[in-house]
Amino acid sequence: MSASTLFTLLAVGAVVLLGAAAASQRRRARRLERLLDGTAAKLEALQIQFEHFAPDAVVERLTQDDDRIAPNRREVTVLFADLQGFTGMCDRLDPMDTVRILNGYFKCMSDAITRHHGRVTELVGDGMLALFGALEPNPWQAQDAVLGALDMRSELARYNAELRAHALPELRFGVGIHRGEVVAGIMGNETLSKFSVVGDTINVASRIEGLTRVHAVDLLITEEVKAALDDRFRLRGMPAMAVKGKTQPIVTYHVEGLLPKARPAGTQPAALS
Amino acid sequence: MASTIIDIPWSEPIVPAVSDPAWEAEVKRRAGSVAETYRRIAPVPWLRELCLTIDTSRLQFLSRHLLNVVKMVTSQENSCRYCYGAARAYMRVMGYSESYIGRIERETQHAELDEKERAVIQFCRNLVRSNPRPAGPEREALIRLGFTQPAVTELAFMIAGGCIFNRVTTLIACPPEHAFEQFAYGPLGRMLGLVAPVLRIFGGRTPRAAVAAAAAPAEMENAPFERIFAVLSPLPSAVVLLRTALQDAMASPLLPRRTKALMVGVVGRSLDCNFCQREAMSLSAGDGLTEADVEASLAALGSPKLEPYENSLLTWVRDTVRYQPEAIQQQTRVLSAEIGNLALLEAIGVAALANGVARLAMLLE
Repeated sequence: MSASTLFTLLAVGAVVLLGAAAASQRRRARRLERLLDGTAAKLEALQIQFEHFAPDAVVERLTQDDDRIAPNRREVTVLFADLQGFTGMCDRLDPMDTVRILNGYFKCMSDAITRHHGRVTELVGDGMLALFGALEPNPWQAQDAVLGALDMRSELARYNAELRAHALPELRFGVGIHRGEVVAGIMGNETLSKFSVVGDTINVASRIEGLTRVHAVDLLITEEVKAALDDRFRLRGMPAMAVKGKTQPIVTYHVEGLLPKARPAGTQPAALS
Repeated sequence: MASTIIDIPWSEPIVPAVSDPAWEAEVKRRAGSVAETYRRIAPVPWLRELCLTIDTSRLQFLSRHLLNVVKMVTSQENSCRYCYGAARAYMRVMGYSESYIGRIERETQHAELDEKERAVIQFCRNLVRSNPRPAGPEREALIRLGFTQPAVTELAFMIAGGCIFNRVTTLIACPPEHAFEQFAYGPLGRMLGLVAPVLRIFGGRTPRAAVAAAAAPAEMENAPFERIFAVLSPLPSAVVLLRTALQDAMASPLLPRRTKALMVGVVGRSLDCNFCQREAMSLSAGDGLTEADVEASLAALGSPKLEPYENSLLTWVRDTVRYQPEAIQQQTRVLSAEIGNLALLEAIGVAALANGVARLAMLLE
């Protein structure tokens, strides 16, 4: 065998080996790409599922390892809602009916809160905690919370009509709204943690909700919330009451509704006139 | 989470397409083809001119590759089915692989994306979301990665321009360009995609736009919004675009000037933009309102001193800052029944412009 033939064979052999290696690498790259795409799709599905358990903005920041989700102080408006007389009602109802009624109630209330830029962050028994201004800055958080609560009142009336039509007992709620500073973020330990808010503001909102039973009204706000409202709301002052954990009695206002709109002399946009 | 195209619900168009042969000829001359948006916004001259100028604006400091990425990410973050679909299809025609596009969409940290690309994508998402609005530190981070100050300014301007265009098409619920999308994903689009990377190499950086530096006339130094034009000075064409748009929008007779100024103020307050709030205050005070009236209107998103349709506009414009397309399109449809299509188009333009300016004003902070 001549040297040139040997060289040619070696060259061909090298080309074949290189080609095989390249094809193998290409197959490997494709496998890795498919694996990566599959993992990304799974992560996306998991993220979507997880959004049922925590606000979507929180889930997204968590997946980005965003340190803005670490607990920090912020001004929020807290709405605390609780069903009145529901425990007694549960004793008389089939548990399946109880769950159905409760799920329907939560759906109506959550929709009303979401329509007004709030977020339901906790469902505890028949109680509900919603926040306004917790996950994104909201300069209109107090009026959003009160308008949301008024919307909840309308939704409850509508839902009660539905329950009545099915011969089921009607519901009554109490809503307390307070504004102040909270610490919000992911709290817990390495085995169990969740997005949560803590602070006196939450406790006060809960106590104010409790006062709705004392004053026999459905919707109470504190002085701090009233201070952030304009004059379109019809409010009625309630006697100051002492609540657990507070040295001073708390002044509250019953939100009766909205005042009739004062309509100025009507003009239309130039495009219409 | 930023949605992918299939997740974006989109309603029927809110305003009709209008035939205006002279305008369509102008669009064809400047943009090459007449996109559906231009037929629907044709009745409002300042708005159609703004959109066309944004659409055809040329880059000075950034590469075309980054512009493609920024356009797609911005429209994805704004959940604009129309722009997102078009930007994605355009990337396919330009030869970007489906897996590359998919990784940008899914934010997967991938070796194909270098550090600068990842930083640009993150900056883009943060500025579009503005929760909170990025400011000096985020700009500095880009400069540390090697971007020049003018390039960062251009980047912010491109994102703000995207926010404007995306809002216009979302708020009118412009029907997606299905024909172009089908072309891009079909055999012809794929063939074009094979040669486009070569063209991209040669066209990677576009020459500086030949627009003279736009110094403000002396009498305009205290005119509304002038401070933003000063920081945009490395981009003379952007200054011309924005100054013209703001002046023409405020001068247009379809809605009162004070209404439009208040709308800018509401967007500014929502995004914690002091600049926009101050400009809105100076523009609207005097048009039948005192400063206290303006402040009260911004604080309550309405006032008994305003006309009912003005109150409706303030409530609506607040929701154009962060929205779900289907919900905002529903609200926009209701507003259309109240004020009519012509005033609605102007309101949409003002809302879009305010959202763009408030995001761009991060350059002042």
